[in-house]
Amino acid sequence: MTRLTRLAAVACVLSPLLLSAQSRGNKPDARPLFVDVTAKSGITFVHKSGASPDKFMVETFGSGLAWIDYDNDGFPDLYFVNGAPGAPNALYHNNKDGTFADVTERAGVAANGGGKEGAAAKTYKTGVAVGDYDNDGYLDIYVTAFGPNILFHNNGDGTFSDVTAKAGVAGGANEWSTSTGFFDYDRDGRLDLYVVNYLDYRLDENPYCGLKKEGYRMYCHPTQFDGMADRLFHNNGDGTFTDVSKQAGIANPAGKGLGVTFCDYDRDGDTDIYVANDTVRNFLYRNNGDGTFTDVAYAAGVGFDSNGKPQAGMGVDCGDIDGNGYPDIFVTNFSEELNALYQNRGDGTFEDVSATTGMGAAFLPLGFGTKLYDFDNDGDLDIHITNGHVIDNVKLYQSNLTYAQKDLLFENVGGKFRDATAAGGPALQAERIGRGLAVADFDNDGNLDVAISSLGQRPVLLRNQGARSANWITIRAKGKKSNTFGLGAIVKIQTPEGLQIRELNNVSSYLSASDVRLHAGLGAARTIQQIEITWPSGTRQVLKDVPVNHILVVEEPSEQP
Amino acid sequence: MIRSRLFAVVPLVVALSAVSAPCASAQAPQADRSPVQERLNRVQADLFSATPHFTDDVAALKELLAENPKSVEAHVLLGLAYRGLGTQEMLAEAIAELRQAIEIDPGVVPARFYLAHIYLDMGRPARAKEELEAALEKAPGSPQFLASLGEAERQLKNPRKAAELIRQALQSDPSLLEGRYYLGLALFDLGQTTDAMKELEQVVSANAGRPEAYLALGTVYNQASRFDDAIRVLSQGTKLDPSRADLRIQLARAYRSKGLLERAEAELIRAQPKPDATLAASYVEHQQLEFDLYVELGLVKMKRGQLAAAADAFKKALAMDPAHGLTNNYIAQIYLRQGQFKLASEHAARAAKAGAPLSENDRKLIDAGLAAKKPGVRE
Repeated sequence: MTRLTRLAAVACVLSPLLLSAQSRGNKPDARPLFVDVTAKSGITFVHKSGASPDKFMVETFGSGLAWIDYDNDGFPDLYFVNGAPGAPNALYHNNKDGTFADVTERAGVAANGGGKEGAAAKTYKTGVAVGDYDNDGYLDIYVTAFGPNILFHNNGDGTFSDVTAKAGVAGGANEWSTSTGFFDYDRDGRLDLYVVNYLDYRLDENPYCGLKKEGYRMYCHPTQFDGMADRLFHNNGDGTFTDVSKQAGIANPAGKGLGVTFCDYDRDGDTDIYVANDTVRNFLYRNNGDGTFTDVAYAAGVGFDSNGKPQAGMGVDCGDIDGNGYPDIFVTNFSEELNALYQNRGDGTFEDVSATTGMGAAFLPLGFGTKLYDFDNDGDLDIHITNGHVIDNVKLYQSNLTYAQKDLLFENVGGKFRDATAAGGPALQAERIGRGLAVADFDNDGNLDVAISSLGQRPVLLRNQGARSANWITIRAKGKKSNTFGLGAIVKIQTPEGLQIRELNNVSSYLSASDVRLHAGLGAARTIQQIEITWPSGTRQVLKDVPVNHILVVEEPSEQP
Repeated sequence: MIRSRLFAVVPLVVALSAVSAPCASAQAPQADRSPVQERLNRVQADLFSATPHFTDDVAALKELLAENPKSVEAHVLLGLAYRGLGTQEMLAEAIAELRQAIEIDPGVVPARFYLAHIYLDMGRPARAKEELEAALEKAPGSPQFLASLGEAERQLKNPRKAAELIRQALQSDPSLLEGRYYLGLALFDLGQTTDAMKELEQVVSANAGRPEAYLALGTVYNQASRFDDAIRVLSQGTKLDPSRADLRIQLARAYRSKGLLERAEAELIRAQPKPDATLAASYVEHQQLEFDLYVELGLVKMKRGQLAAAADAFKKALAMDPAHGLTNNYIAQIYLRQGQFKLASEHAARAAKAGAPLSENDRKLIDAGLAAKKPGVRE
């Protein structure tokens, strides 16, 4: 059985099961939306931050996680990045029954140097990207670090190989890399790699910050350090990459980047980059279509808050929140800053609507990982934020703040937001030092589930029990001329409920990667009149009368139909 | 070592740049009359004027950068404008703009100069030195750059090298007030108080309107026990910038030393930090100032015989730096005078450990008090 037919078979097997969701009743649902199934799932990973009395900043910024169906069995698996030097990352295989099995050792993705001395054993690992850079049909893993980054090639047999040296994507030996992602910026069918860098920080130059009183030493403010330029690696197509950061125009040393997301904000057919920076303005790199980018944050109005001040950007995502067809940008910020929502006007500019969309509850918490996704399958993008302060002893300085904080869940109601955290259930009331957040429908039941990494703690797997009356579609793209998972494709879904324009993009949030499949809630729509996919190659594909509530595997046509 | 408070040097840098103009004018060819260049020139003229409108300049420069994100001159000027706003939240942005200018054009010497000054204000002399050395490669012998490099060396605790570099700068341009100011600081660090005074007096008498110079000279006068001169100069400084707590703390010190305790206390009350300065992030910048304030307040109260109030002030200082030698010494003296020998002994031990031991006589009194274990003594 070829990989393709195997996938199609999975989809066919799943469909009858999933279609049953359609027949569910329409009564109001009193069940909590999310249930913490971490313990039941068998996930025992515990993040190690490396916290020390020296208060090295990197200790408090945590690590991310990624949903990755590494064995193409149709069920997303989970990869956790660990922080402290020597602490192993972990890969959990999805057993398709709600449980996961730790396959780290066999897969060879611990990224801790195998317990031996060496660069990998000394780094603080931070973020993760998932993408099939060599188009062999299997998703690969890129791990960022405070230190050399690591590229794991998926061998297709359940194992991975560290190909960092050959690929040339380690980055600087002393760089503090954070969020990262694969995307095809030059539309050559191969995934390139963007790596966000944070501060020019050195462990041997670690100033004392805070009161000189026992217990009061605090993590330093980023203002005390310089920023560091991000990196863009162009995929050469032979397993190697070339660092094109400078010639591409993204090597701005002013950046103190923590989050990155990709979307075609101006709908000109190529993927643009948005970088959330901490305490300095954010960047919007418009793809010029010739291998270069121009930072248009000033012109677009997405660099600052509405008062013209830079914020402490952490996590980020983009998506069409208001249904006007253009992706909006959402950025999580520091405590006592509003999270930023920039509404795309469709003319290359954005309006900062942070203060008017009903997300005031997010003012006090410090937001990190975030995702725009349709948690209730009603056809629009909601917002999930995981929170946690960066200063562990913040309470000593400000009694109204805490290190561990609750998540926030906002439901999209016509482009405004309603705080739906309480309806999310007890699982969302738990306080954690939230960092990474990523979504995937891990049990393929038609509801997007959430995994959250927590600093120095166990991660949390939140199973979405779903809104009973809502329909959905999940699209697994298979590129041919485009990259194999179709990342960067623009998908228009037309139902009697309306038109949704979405992008296939697994890069968002903070240090994390979501499922490469596109999931769309369809509300009460029982049929999809049309799905139009514009592949990164430019190929346009139209599917008519698509049934709802199943996983649709779509192959890129060889030629323009 | 005298250290300027954060944000305090902006007017100095800008004003001196306007006088000597080694930098910005090089980026603004006067012959260029394009509308964009005219807008840039207007902003530049405002920024270097006596009464710049920083907020308007920021808005104008953002517009210019929206039109041309790669305008080196706009990035440099925006960095200066942000710096001019004088708030902590814009400090990182000022650095960001200047670094971006350098990234676009590594030869843009003014950006390196202004960036170096921000680093100096932030107490990051090593980074300032890097930028200034790079600037000097492009503009060898520039008096301003040499003087600033001297200040970087001073902050790196190389006052001899600092003085050498600054004298070299002043040889090229004897009118460089910035250089005289830095030389005064370097000479003070070298223990050459009289020479330091001479340099700083020149800066102050030039009436350049820089509170830093008044603070430095007042501090040197205090050190030299010329308290009347200190009071005169520091009072002038507080008129220039009434919000400067560091000037008022030095002034209080001078008043206390003269025995004018009520006036000293009045200055310290005016120097009290605003409530919003207690946010976590602001501790880094304000801690030293608050510490100095409480120590000085403790000394004033001590001299007035208000021992409980003095102890309270010293406790607040020690809450910020529990191991501080002199403050432990002071509070130990208070506890000794209050008959609280155990507490006196504990703080005396901390003071000694930090290199600020109590006098032998006081130590003997504490030991005697402990040995006597007088009944009814409150501990």
